[in-house]
Amino acid sequence: MLAPQRRPRSSSTRSMTPSASRRARLYKALFENRTPRRGSGGIVGPQDWLFYPALMAILATVVLATDLPLSFGLDLPEPVWPVALAFAWPLIRPSFIAPLLLGVMGLFLDYFWGAPLGFYVISLMAVHAATLLIRSYIVGQDTWVVIGAYSLAVLLFFTLGVVLTTLDSGVVPRLISVFEQMFATWCLVVFVLILLDRFLNSDVRFN
Amino acid sequence: MRYGDNQPFEHLKLPITWGVMILVAAICVVGALMFLGDRRGGLDAASYGNRAGFDRAAAKSNNLLSTPAHFVSDRTNGIEDYFFAVSENRVLKQKIVELEKYRDAYRQAKELNRRYEVLLNLRTEPEVESITARSVSVSRGPFNNNRLIDAGTSKGLAFGNPVINEHGLVGRVVGVSPDVSRVLMVTDVVSRVPVMVARTDARAMMVGDGGGFPRLEFVRGGPDVLKKGDQILTSGDGGIFPRGLPVGEARRGVDGVWRVDLYTNRGPIDLVKVLKFKDFTQLPRAEEVLRTPLVTDLLPAPPAPSAASHSPSASSASASSGAASSSAAPASSSSTSPSSAVPRPRPAAMSQPVAPRPQPATEAPASASPASVSGG
Repeated sequence: MLAPQRRPRSSSTRSMTPSASRRARLYKALFENRTPRRGSGGIVGPQDWLFYPALMAILATVVLATDLPLSFGLDLPEPVWPVALAFAWPLIRPSFIAPLLLGVMGLFLDYFWGAPLGFYVISLMAVHAATLLIRSYIVGQDTWVVIGAYSLAVLLFFTLGVVLTTLDSGVVPRLISVFEQMFATWCLVVFVLILLDRFLNSDVRFN
Repeated sequence: MRYGDNQPFEHLKLPITWGVMILVAAICVVGALMFLGDRRGGLDAASYGNRAGFDRAAAKSNNLLSTPAHFVSDRTNGIEDYFFAVSENRVLKQKIVELEKYRDAYRQAKELNRRYEVLLNLRTEPEVESITARSVSVSRGPFNNNRLIDAGTSKGLAFGNPVINEHGLVGRVVGVSPDVSRVLMVTDVVSRVPVMVARTDARAMMVGDGGGFPRLEFVRGGPDVLKKGDQILTSGDGGIFPRGLPVGEARRGVDGVWRVDLYTNRGPIDLVKVLKFKDFTQLPRAEEVLRTPLVTDLLPAPPAPSAASHSPSASSASASSGAASSSAAPASSSSTSPSSAVPRPRPAAMSQPVAPRPQPATEAPASASPASVSGG
């Protein structure tokens, strides 16, 4: 393990040998809570903050949909993972790829959960658009402000879901079940804060 | 080199936020058009027909995930059964002694019921073939409640087949592919199941709302037709579900609405049984059905009404006759309901295709003759 006094500095990294430089980068990645740079240019690309989180959200959705009964009559939770991305992506950076990816993920949820086509597309787009509109007021604020904004985004998503379901089927969904899934989705605020910390707060070149 | 140097559009600055908003609006419009064009509420075979390929892929991935868990769970249950085998065996022997009495009573009642059916020449529903499948994926949210099971058209499943498990009614098949089927749970917001109360024979509609306790709506009858703990069965009205499948027990919710505590809430829905019941077209041939006598034609005539209340009693008699005919022959209720308002004409001959009229028991169809001989 490297001693703290031997902590490499970025200005002296250029004169290091390749192995020392590799060790220094590894040290920074492990102990300075920074993301290891990918790609030749060291730039955070769309795959880092768009494609990999989207893939992870889809995988998590598929895994949590597995029919595994738990003890005491409980079931696996079913949070709506793309809601976290629909909120975090506009805060990280306005992008043309993000709404397209969200549309694809909404269609995936429609097919996978057997919802009417377009149901999750509209709901996710509403969250994305609302966050994009208030982006300048949230970025740089305290963590509690971000958590509050995410709570409002979750509330918007499920309110729209209830309205669309009522329009589609003529039946108001049971609100206790709505609150259960809303709570499970709200718990993904940790995922949102990790995304913002990795791609918004700690990467000044991104802005 | 800075961004934009030597680029053809270096002086063109796109307002990215507005561009993204326009893109979001465009996707919203596309999503709204898809939502408006979706026919999920109609619950016909075409509404889920374009999802078969996706369901196959999703079920395979979920099957990969659930197989190891089921393997471990089965082994754990096996170990538990081994250690508790002696005490369980003792309990089971006591249950066998108790159940033997019910078995004998059941056999007697079944034989008696068969004789009554033969005597009255009643049309009974045919035996329904079923197959077993395993649930591999589930959607439990408030907006969608459905499952994927690992059986499809290769095993003879079709759209609309009812799905049950060892406790009661689970739902029905709304999407099929060769290996995988999608089951709409009775708790889904678009699910409507015609049910009846076993104690009072009152009819109602069980409406799913995304929770585990569907609502009972359109309860017909007085205020006493429903009590807490009444058993709820499928009524068979509409022909989607066969009559008599156990559904649950009646409960009054905190909001004062009658709800059904589903029997399927008593345990996990793992293995399910799919009944290959389609609808009333599966019943015997139409000619044979239409020749089945009505119960009102076989029962003795009611006493003659007094002259003072002649017309009201006649109207009530005709109404009760219509109700009895609809309960005895639900398949032909749609064809006979228009004629129930007017006096039913006597048929001229069996070969006449129009004016379907039930024949008396002495003119029973050939298929029922051997049974009537043995019953008589």
